[in-house]
Amino acid sequence: MRPESKTIINAVKAYIERHSVINADSMASEQAFGELALQLFQFQCEYNSAYRNYAKLKRKLPNQLDSWRDIPPMPIQAFKRSPLACEPPEEAAAVFMTSGTTNPEQRGRQYHPTFEVWDASMSTGFRSFVMGDIGKLKILSLSPAEDIHTNSSLSRYLSQALRLFGTSGSQSYFQQDGLVVEQLLDDLRACEEQGEPVLLLGATFAYVPLLDTIEKLGIRFRLAPGSRILDTGGFKGKSREVSVNWLYEKFEQCFGVPRTLCVNMYGMTELCSQYYDTTILTGAFTKMKLGPAWLRPLVLDPNTLLPVAEGNVGVLAHFDLANWNSCVAILTEDIGVMEGGRFELIGRIAGSEARGCSLAVEQFIQSNGLQTS
Amino acid sequence: MNETKEITRIEAFFLPAGMSFETTTSTRILTSEGPVELLIPVLDGEKLKMIIANLSRNRSDYLSTLSTSEIIERIAVASEKWLNPSYPQRVLAEQLLPALTGYAADSIRLQLKRYMRTFRRKELLRFIGEEFDDPLVLDEFRPRKSGGFSRAYGPKLLFQVFSGNVPGVSLWSMTMGLLLRSAQLGKTSMAEPLMAVWFAQSLAEVDAKLADSIAILPWKGGSEELEREAIRQADTVTVYGGRLAVESVRAKVPIEKKFVAYGPKASFAMIGKEALTPDRMNVTISRLAADVAHYDQQSCMSPQCVYIEDGGSIDAQGFAALIAAELGRLQLRWPRASLADQEAYAILEVRNRYWLEEAAGEGSAVYASTKDAQWTVVYHNTPRFEGSPLNRTLHVYRCRRVEDVIPMLEPAGQAGLLQTCGAAIGPHRMFALAEALGNIGVNRFCHIGSMLQAKAGWHHDGRFNLMDLIRFTDIERTMEDELEQYDPDFE
Repeated sequence: MRPESKTIINAVKAYIERHSVINADSMASEQAFGELALQLFQFQCEYNSAYRNYAKLKRKLPNQLDSWRDIPPMPIQAFKRSPLACEPPEEAAAVFMTSGTTNPEQRGRQYHPTFEVWDASMSTGFRSFVMGDIGKLKILSLSPAEDIHTNSSLSRYLSQALRLFGTSGSQSYFQQDGLVVEQLLDDLRACEEQGEPVLLLGATFAYVPLLDTIEKLGIRFRLAPGSRILDTGGFKGKSREVSVNWLYEKFEQCFGVPRTLCVNMYGMTELCSQYYDTTILTGAFTKMKLGPAWLRPLVLDPNTLLPVAEGNVGVLAHFDLANWNSCVAILTEDIGVMEGGRFELIGRIAGSEARGCSLAVEQFIQSNGLQTS
Repeated sequence: MNETKEITRIEAFFLPAGMSFETTTSTRILTSEGPVELLIPVLDGEKLKMIIANLSRNRSDYLSTLSTSEIIERIAVASEKWLNPSYPQRVLAEQLLPALTGYAADSIRLQLKRYMRTFRRKELLRFIGEEFDDPLVLDEFRPRKSGGFSRAYGPKLLFQVFSGNVPGVSLWSMTMGLLLRSAQLGKTSMAEPLMAVWFAQSLAEVDAKLADSIAILPWKGGSEELEREAIRQADTVTVYGGRLAVESVRAKVPIEKKFVAYGPKASFAMIGKEALTPDRMNVTISRLAADVAHYDQQSCMSPQCVYIEDGGSIDAQGFAALIAAELGRLQLRWPRASLADQEAYAILEVRNRYWLEEAAGEGSAVYASTKDAQWTVVYHNTPRFEGSPLNRTLHVYRCRRVEDVIPMLEPAGQAGLLQTCGAAIGPHRMFALAEALGNIGVNRFCHIGSMLQAKAGWHHDGRFNLMDLIRFTDIERTMEDELEQYDPDFE
């Protein structure tokens, strides 16, 4: 690893450490955030040629910027095109890939030369937004761990959570051939009987069939006070789609976990940090999401790519200081709305329908599988 | 200013004389002349039944007794009213349509008058003559060259589902219904429900009884009760629109009824080196830019991409840069409609994709308005075929010869998705190009600059117009000859 990378890693780690307590004031460090973001961008323009070329094209090279908000967010499509990395991709310790829901041939890749920063970011965020003042909990995970999905950022996230915040006996219930429901239910029952609080972790869509099974069996859990549930990722056509309200009502009915102890995590392969809703952090149910102090969202006008005023809907860009090896700023395909430094995720950019007989690009694909590129 | 003016209420429906229903109002539309609300009838299956009964009665009492030439005369007089700039409905259209559709007022004014000229008597005669050697076949049994007689019958009740993307496209369909003596129920889209109504009013001004066979009603597409009833009673259903609209209606039409759909299509342009000489280049660019700008590419005749041949005085990338500049100028003249978020995202997605390609030095270049997603031109150094997210987004492909790209168009053509080719090439190449593109499914060639002005009687999507809607009854020669023997005076 080149010395410049080590310097950057240390700078980011120091920043994370300085801001490890997450509270409403964590946004106050505007200047410190901006300085490090610009420093990272400069570093990336030097060693990540794809990002540099993009920035050059957008006339947003480091010396052309006034603020971290001017850093051109890299469209996440770019992660599918070519390696985006400062350190040589072939030397990476791991590469995380997107699920490739739209096109399995084209999966976005994020290279990790080391997990030093990723781990520091993950654990600091998880502690504040999920654990609160509890050190460890019995963790039951519904989604594949890293031994099953070696290239999944979510799997590593879950495995890290188990390692760092799980008491003994914490485990993943997703085995090679799927969720081991019976054992999961038995273990949940045992925890309930012993009055041991648990933390359920899993992809949002993974809960739906579990809840269906619980309903079918006509059983109910009253998990010990302090038990909590984390879900992440939404549905993306994986299971039948249900509303967030339905999900949280079921959590309360089936597990006895109140809404105020449920948290939704928003993470992406293209990021090294995660957002969470602030429900557990503040004790008040909300869908508004906040990141740790080294992760900031902007909502951009799709027409101009300039930030919109608070309360307006636009496309989400994320500035993640932990993304030291790829791109400090990314442009997502998600839409959201900001309010007081937090954002609400509204959905994904969907293709548009033409208003009449003219065939829009989206419909080409639907009509006959004609790929556009 | 606008708040102080009184709200104008405009009927967004047309019913036979004497029928009236309770109405609701649409969301307010702000026009240059003050706020407007559209009145929309509150409908249910029972009311629709009454309307249809009324239409059918009026048809058999009156419309079906008129001759083709009498009907042509009336349509021509009604549409020529629109060629008078102070005709009240035209004034209203020029005020309201820009606010309703978002299209630039000047562009609408221009397109509308060009369009209304296609309804002159001579054009209507041509329209019928195009399909019938003997137009009187619509009036009576006419002798056939092979012996016997034939007569054409139009639908008794024509249910038409109009699209709202281009103002006035419904007018030709209404004209066809009249020429075929059909009672018509037209369902308009709330995106543009007015032109069909105003045209029906013009017809009523000319001949109220004729217009009494027409009902124009807006309702939300997919309204089960209304659509089931309309389809149950109609003998022919036509639908114009996107894939979803067409499929949703088609699913409800039983096979024994005639169903004619004009589904989504894409068009493109081809520019040969002959049109890229120093003296012609600018005209070529401004013509094609106008085709892109009018109706923001929402018409199926609008070009989504253009193939630029090598060997002209500018290369394809230069063409891309210049047409981008021209679109920038047209933005001042005919500003593009403001976009729904989804439309803006679709453009952003394309821009991002090709910005990345450009940054990676892969042979693309993006020319895009900076302030707003008003226009986008994407240059590609190798030819492909790609649809556009529309709203003034044009792909410009470099090719060695325009003929070389035909294989790339073939999949879309075979899938029935291609319609117009706007071309500017040397005359000696016309037939060979038309032959080759016709072979893969392209169904209309025209010069660039007139892509949106299909001529009366064109083979819409490669098909007949009236012919697709009629049925024939034949009297065979044997009948004609052998019946003579039953004449008491027969020897």
